[in-house]
Amino acid sequence: MYKPRKPYDLSYTHFVGSWAWILHRLSGLALIFYLCLHVWVIHTLTQGEQSFNRLMTFLSSPLFRVLEVGLWGVILFHAFNGVRVIIVDFFGGALMQKKLFLALILLAFILWAAGSAVIIGHIH
Amino acid sequence: MPEKDFNETSRRGGTLWLLQRISAGVIFVLLLIHYVTYHFIGDGTITYQQVSEKMASPWFNLTQVLFLFAGIFHGLNGIWMVAEDYLHGRLVRLVLVSVLLLLGLVLLFVGTATVLKVG
Repeated sequence: MYKPRKPYDLSYTHFVGSWAWILHRLSGLALIFYLCLHVWVIHTLTQGEQSFNRLMTFLSSPLFRVLEVGLWGVILFHAFNGVRVIIVDFFGGALMQKKLFLALILLAFILWAAGSAVIIGHIH
Repeated sequence: MPEKDFNETSRRGGTLWLLQRISAGVIFVLLLIHYVTYHFIGDGTITYQQVSEKMASPWFNLTQVLFLFAGIFHGLNGIWMVAEDYLHGRLVRLVLVSVLLLLGLVLLFVGTATVLKVG
């Protein structure tokens, strides 16, 4: 049976691809945690108009807007690195995976900046 | 160690691998629509009335439940893919699979019930 030397062995992480792989995992774990929270929060719809609106008012405070900016960034990183994974797996992109990473992350960054401007603009 | 059918386990892993990519495509499209319609159009306030008006459309709800299902599958299968690299014991894997399946069913139930009740 395969035994890793230690579960946190990072000795092979000197390259773009391995960092992308690790960050993809970490962002994915963060997002499934967020999805649980999201389903739970949206569930207050069933408790009537007042409790839902009260919760939404609470969640539109500046602190949560800043957290939304972070969430948008984590989503975009995961989504666009995911596009790279699919290009590498299905469309023969293995030999250009580093360039793909940089190009897609640049695109993600532009979308992050644009979306964040909108979200920050929602702070009243 | 008991004999293991590696053809079977690799086939199952391959199917999950493919489904992870298919669900990724579904989520990529639906998440973009979700973000634009809920969070980028308008002034950022979300009210019960806005959401219940959206949920009055069965077709919209169908996409929302598909989105939910794809998201839950992709997320929980993702946890499993990460865990497979570190957890090798039979019992601990069985426990994890059970927990993930249960969590998936609860999330799917709560999410679908919300959509159906409000819609």
